[in-house]
Amino acid sequence: MEEVVCRTEDLQPGEMMESRFGKHEIVVCRASDGHYYAFLNRCIHQGAPLSKGKLCGAPEPTDNLGEYKFERDGDILRCPWHGREFDIRNKGCMLANEKFKIKNFKVMEKNDEVIVYK
Amino acid sequence: MTNPKLHLIDTDIHERVQYSQLLPYLPQPYRRYIEDCSWIQEKHMPFTQPAVAGVDRADAVVPDGRPAGSDLPFMQSQLLDEIGHEFGILTGALDPSPSSMHGWYEMATALASAYNDWQIEHWLEKDERLYGSVHIAAQDPQGAVKEIERVGSHKKMVQILLPIDDKLWGDPYYHPIFEAAEKHDLMIGMHHNEPPVHYGKWPRYFIEWHTLIPVAHMTMVTNMVFNGVFEKFPKLKMMMIEGGFTYVPFLMRKMDQQYRDLRHEVPWIKRMPSDIIRKHICFTTQPLEEMTKKEFLQTFEHMGTDEIVSFSTDYPHWDYDSPYEALPKGLDEGLQRKLFSENARNFYPKLPQLKEEE
Repeated sequence: MEEVVCRTEDLQPGEMMESRFGKHEIVVCRASDGHYYAFLNRCIHQGAPLSKGKLCGAPEPTDNLGEYKFERDGDILRCPWHGREFDIRNKGCMLANEKFKIKNFKVMEKNDEVIVYK
Repeated sequence: MTNPKLHLIDTDIHERVQYSQLLPYLPQPYRRYIEDCSWIQEKHMPFTQPAVAGVDRADAVVPDGRPAGSDLPFMQSQLLDEIGHEFGILTGALDPSPSSMHGWYEMATALASAYNDWQIEHWLEKDERLYGSVHIAAQDPQGAVKEIERVGSHKKMVQILLPIDDKLWGDPYYHPIFEAAEKHDLMIGMHHNEPPVHYGKWPRYFIEWHTLIPVAHMTMVTNMVFNGVFEKFPKLKMMMIEGGFTYVPFLMRKMDQQYRDLRHEVPWIKRMPSDIIRKHICFTTQPLEEMTKKEFLQTFEHMGTDEIVSFSTDYPHWDYDSPYEALPKGLDEGLQRKLFSENARNFYPKLPQLKEEE
């Protein structure tokens, strides 16, 4: 099964949009490196619509108390409700605990189209 | 004398000093302030009424009339010999806490020094079972570090006592204290002083204040963990004294939940808060709530470990817990051993390990 979920020009790096893949509501994200990623548009915590959140960066884990290194701008999807952070370039893993992740879909680009498939 | 079955390491015993006993250890002009001017700390708890002898066990008053906890031979006969302690950790009763000293760091540090010398001479070197807590005026970190350097290497000093009072010790301003602690294999013992749990004031009744002491303990655990003290000082551990432990499952769950959402604010924390607690913090049992065995065991189940709780009597205070009576009946021997001794022994690196034949 494969489906066109948007056109490549619909998103600039650091932007995201809602779409559909079969019966699933999904969020399509374009990361800072220009690649596209797609996830179920539903936070694993309490089901908030992730597309209403923010694609942004995050303070990196650090060994130095009091230090904020805000990096990966455009690669971190934060939930609109509790602000939980997910790394779109790492399968949607939660930053606070990598054991948890939002559901991700396979994505490819073909002829200016973004296609989700399984 | 030691009860071989119990191997009790009692993690909270309050020895008591009177100012007159500190005078020989106090330099001038501090001695004069007490001797000539009757200076006293402003210990302002407005409650003396909780039990029949105030905040002490009525039978712990020394027979000659001196206050409970002030006489070693009497403590030996009533507590250490009677129960059969293997070791006891002294946690003091005089504390030059910030709220009692109002910024007079110099006097606070001098009092702490005098107290340590008195404690070493009259308690630690008089009974091999007793181990001590380094008193400091932590509100003056530089003075505190000097004092830790002065007495911290004493073989019977096992921890540094910090009051749970009106300062949050996780602030990096106080980290030189933790650096010095780590250097000397000293752990941190935290004991409430006069915790400001009622919006910085006193409630109407003692029962309100005493019920909510764990709130002050939770404040400090939360502060120490999220300020990254245990990330910066990986060998450091902290004993939360006299706040009980039944709040711990709640706090672990709450902190983990907050961390999942708010990690970005404290990116120096790289482990789940509950994991940090399990690795670095231990809790003394007293004052134990009366629980069934099932309720008691459930608490450990929710904490995910039974290795971070240590039995304490809090002698000679009114809410003393008896090692023979306070725990639910029928706990298996392995758990009793952990609570009575193993957990404390694993916590304090300076406590002697069990000999092979034992």
